[in-house]
Amino acid sequence: MTLFKARNIQKRFGARVVLENISLSVEEGTVHGIMGPNGAGKTTCFHVLTGFYPPDDGRITFEGHDITGRKPHQIARLGISRSFQIMNLFDDTVVIENVILALPDFRALSFNVTRNVFDDITLVDRALEVLDRVGLADRAWQKAASLSYGNRRALEIAVALAADPRIVFLDEPTSGLGAEATLRLMELIRNLREAYTIVIIEHDMRFLFELADTISVIHWGQVIAEDTPAALRANKWVARSALGDVA
Amino acid sequence: MISLSDIPARGGSPFTRSMGLFVLLLLTAPFWLEPIGLYQYLGMEIAIWILFALGFNLLFGYAGLHSFGHGAYLGIGAYAFGLFQQNVTLNLWGGLLAAIAAATLAGAIVGAFVSHRRGIYFALMTIAFGQVFWFAAIKLHSVTGGEDGLLGIPRPNLVVGPLKLDISDNRTLYWFVTIVLLVAVLALWRLVNAPFGRVLQAIRQNETRARFVGYNVWLIKWLTFVVSAGFAGLAGGLFAMAQESAYPDVMSLHQSGLIVMMVLVGGGLVSFWGPVFGVLLYFIARDIIGGLTETWLLWFGLMFVIMVMVRPEGLAGLFHVLRTCLPPGPRKAVGPAAHPGRA
Amino acid sequence: MIELLPHIVNGLTLGLLFALIALGFTLIVGVMEVINLAHGSLFALGAYFALATIGGDWFASTEFGIWWLGLPIGTRYATALAVGPLLAAASGMAIELCLRPTYGKAPLYGLLLTFGAALVVEEVIRLVWGTGEQNLSVPQAINGAFLMGGLIFSKYKFFAAAFALAAIALVWVFLERTPYGAIIKAGSHDSEMVRALGYDLSKLRLLVFGFGAALAGLAGIILAPIWGLRPHIGLDVVIPAFLIIVIGGVGSFWGAVLAALLVGMSVGITGAYAPAWSMMSMYLLLIAVVGFRARGLLGRKSALEN
Repeated sequence: MTLFKARNIQKRFGARVVLENISLSVEEGTVHGIMGPNGAGKTTCFHVLTGFYPPDDGRITFEGHDITGRKPHQIARLGISRSFQIMNLFDDTVVIENVILALPDFRALSFNVTRNVFDDITLVDRALEVLDRVGLADRAWQKAASLSYGNRRALEIAVALAADPRIVFLDEPTSGLGAEATLRLMELIRNLREAYTIVIIEHDMRFLFELADTISVIHWGQVIAEDTPAALRANKWVARSALGDVA
Repeated sequence: MISLSDIPARGGSPFTRSMGLFVLLLLTAPFWLEPIGLYQYLGMEIAIWILFALGFNLLFGYAGLHSFGHGAYLGIGAYAFGLFQQNVTLNLWGGLLAAIAAATLAGAIVGAFVSHRRGIYFALMTIAFGQVFWFAAIKLHSVTGGEDGLLGIPRPNLVVGPLKLDISDNRTLYWFVTIVLLVAVLALWRLVNAPFGRVLQAIRQNETRARFVGYNVWLIKWLTFVVSAGFAGLAGGLFAMAQESAYPDVMSLHQSGLIVMMVLVGGGLVSFWGPVFGVLLYFIARDIIGGLTETWLLWFGLMFVIMVMVRPEGLAGLFHVLRTCLPPGPRKAVGPAAHPGRA
Repeated sequence: MIELLPHIVNGLTLGLLFALIALGFTLIVGVMEVINLAHGSLFALGAYFALATIGGDWFASTEFGIWWLGLPIGTRYATALAVGPLLAAASGMAIELCLRPTYGKAPLYGLLLTFGAALVVEEVIRLVWGTGEQNLSVPQAINGAFLMGGLIFSKYKFFAAAFALAAIALVWVFLERTPYGAIIKAGSHDSEMVRALGYDLSKLRLLVFGFGAALAGLAGIILAPIWGLRPHIGLDVVIPAFLIIVIGGVGSFWGAVLAALLVGMSVGITGAYAPAWSMMSMYLLLIAVVGFRARGLLGRKSALEN
C-alpha cells in the first residue's frame, strides 16, 4: 500500500527554482532512499515533504489524506517524523527528556501545569525503551550536550522514533560518522525497518544501496530515476550523471 | 555548565533550601530593615520588583524570548489599578484583577504579533510595542494624566470574607505584597516544572525540533507572553498602590532595559532564583552606592558590562561555581537513583 | 499643499541624517552581527566632543585656549567636524574590544553589552558635561533662515541635508569602489572568506566598528544643532536607527537609505498634522513592515532571525 505520496512538487526561492518537479511514492514497510549530487535539492525536498516549507505547487498525501501546506506540528501529529542533517536536540537537558518531550502521551499533557515531568513512570519507561533501541539507555540521565557526535546522531533518531511515527524521514544520518559508527547505524536501520516505513536522504551510496528497497535519484530539482538499487546500478545513464563511478 | 532546564533534584517540589531562605528573608525583613539603616518602603519595592522579575524571567530565561519592552505591562497594570479605583469603585481585589486583566489583554494583542518571531527580531518588535504603549501613556492626557501620571491612587482595604483590614501604611501593605509574592512564586515554580514549563523550555532550546515533534510552538510562545504580561500587570497593580500613583516612566525603554539587566546580572538564564539576586543587587546598588555617589548608575552599568564579558551566567552562576569549588559534599547524582518516580 | 513643503523638507533632512546614522549601524551589524545599542551613544559622544572642540569654559583661560577661541568659528567648526568623529571612532573601538568575549555566543549578549555600554556613556556624559541641554554653535554662514515663496526655511537644514547626502555618497563610493569596501562586504557575507583571503578578521572588525562609530559621531555633530544636546540623546537616537535598519533590511545599504527616508518623511508629515504623535509614526511603520516581512524591505536572510 502506498503510504506517502508526493506529486509534481515545485519549490522556488525568489527567482531560483530549487525543486522543479518532484514526484515520489513510498510503500508501507519499505525503506526508500533519496540521492543525488550536492545542491540537487535533496534537503529542500525533505523540508517540503515534512512541512518545513510549503510547496509552491504540487500535492502531498499521507494515507490518502491531502497534507499539502499543513504546519510542521500538524504533520508531526499525523505520524510523520524526521531527523535533521544539522543536529537539532534539546541540549540543556538530559538525554531522556529529549525523548520524553517527543512522546505523544507527553505531548497530550503539554498544557498541564499540575504535575511534574517525570511523575509518570510509564512515560519514563517508554522513553527508556526507545533509547534502548538506539543503544543509549545507559546514557539516559546524561546531559544531551555531553554526548559524543555518534551518540548525538543516535539520539536524533531516537527523538524521531519517540513520536510514534508511521513514517520516519532521516536526513543524511551518516553525515560526519566514521566507518564503524556507520556500520552500527546500518544495523540499527535494518532493525527499524520491521516497525517503520523509512525515507533516507544519503550521500553515502554504498549505505543506501545496502539498505533501500527503492531509490529516487534527484538531479536539478527533478527525479531523474526511481527504481530498485539493482536496476539503478544497471542504468548507465543514471550512474554517470548522478552517481559517479561509485555504483 | 548549569542551565535552567536541569532537572530539579527533588522532582519539582518547591520546598527547597533556597525557597526556605527566600521565605525567611521575606518574613523577617520588616524587623531588620530599619535597624540596619534602611527603610520599610524599600522592602515593599524590592518585593514588587522580584515579582515582576520572576514573571519576566518566565519569558526571558525559560522561554528564551528576549523582550525589551516588558515595562509596558507593568505600567499598564499600574494604570489599570489606578483607573479602577478612581472610576469604578474602591476595591482592592477588583483593582488587582483589573491590573492583571489589562496587562494580559495587552500581552495577548502584542503576543499575537510577536510570537512567530524569535531572537533579535522578537526583541525589536517588543521594543517597538513598548515604545508605542509608553508614547500613548504620555500623550493620552485625559486618561493617563500625561507625563505626571495618575496621582493620589488610594490603598484600598483588604477584604477577605467578613474580615476587613486597613493596609494603608507601609508595613501592613508590605505583608500583603509578601503574601501575593509568595503565592506568585509558588505558581511560577509549579509552572516551570510542569509539562507546560518543560515544553516552553524545549522551545527555547530548539524551536525547530519542538515543532517537528508536534508542538504548536506559536501557541505556547503566545501563552507564555500572555502569562508573563499578566504577572507584570499584577506587579504593576501593587506598584501603583505602593507609589500611590502610576506614571509613564516605568514603561520607558530605560526601565524595560533595567529589568533585563537585573534578570541577567542575577543569573536568570541559569537559575529560577537568579532574578531575585539581580533585583536585590540593583536596589542595594541604588540605595547604598547611590548614597555615596550621584553616579551609581555608571558603576552599575560598568559592573553589568563586565558581567556580560566575563560571566554571562550572572550571580547565580557565580554562586554555583563557588559552591562546586568548595570541598565536595555528597554529590547529588542526576539519574534514576535521584529520580523520585523510580524510588 | 504648499504649507506641507517645510514639513517635507524637514522630513527629507531628517531622513538623510537618519540614513547616515543607520549606515554605520548596518555596517556593524553586517560585518559582526552585533546590534550595537551604543551606536546612539557614539552619536552623542561625537557631538559632545565637537562641543568641547569648538570651545567652552574648560580651557578658555589657558594660553592655547585664548588663541583658539580667537580663531573664527568656521575654522573651529571645521576642526570639530574632524575631531568629533575621530574620537567617536576611538570610543567605538574601545567598545569593540569589550565585545570580543561575546563573539560566537547568542546575539543577545552583544545587545546586552552594548546596552550596558550605552548606559555607561550616558552617565559619563552627565558627569563631564552636566545634565542640562547644550547648544552646539555653528558658523554664521549656515545659520539663520531665508524666505522662499513666502515660506521660511532654515539654512542649516539645507546644509545638513546636503552634508548628509555627500557623506552617504562617500560611504557608497568607499564600499563599492575601493578594495577596503570589497573586504568589508566579503566580511558581511562570510567571515571565513575574509580569513581565507588572508585578512585579519579581528582587525577588520575593529576598523569597521571605528568607521561606523565615526559616521555616528559625524551625524551627531550635524544633528545636534537641530535636536539640541542632552545626555540621553544616545538612546533617543539609537532606537530610530535600529528601527530603520530593520525596516530597510539588516545589512542592506539601499534598504537603510530607503527606510531612513521613509521614516524621516513619516515623522515629518505626521508632524504637520499631529506634532505630539510624530515620533510614534515610526514605530507603527516598523510594526507594519516587520509584521509582514521579517527581513525588512530589501534585506536578505540573516543569522539574526534565529
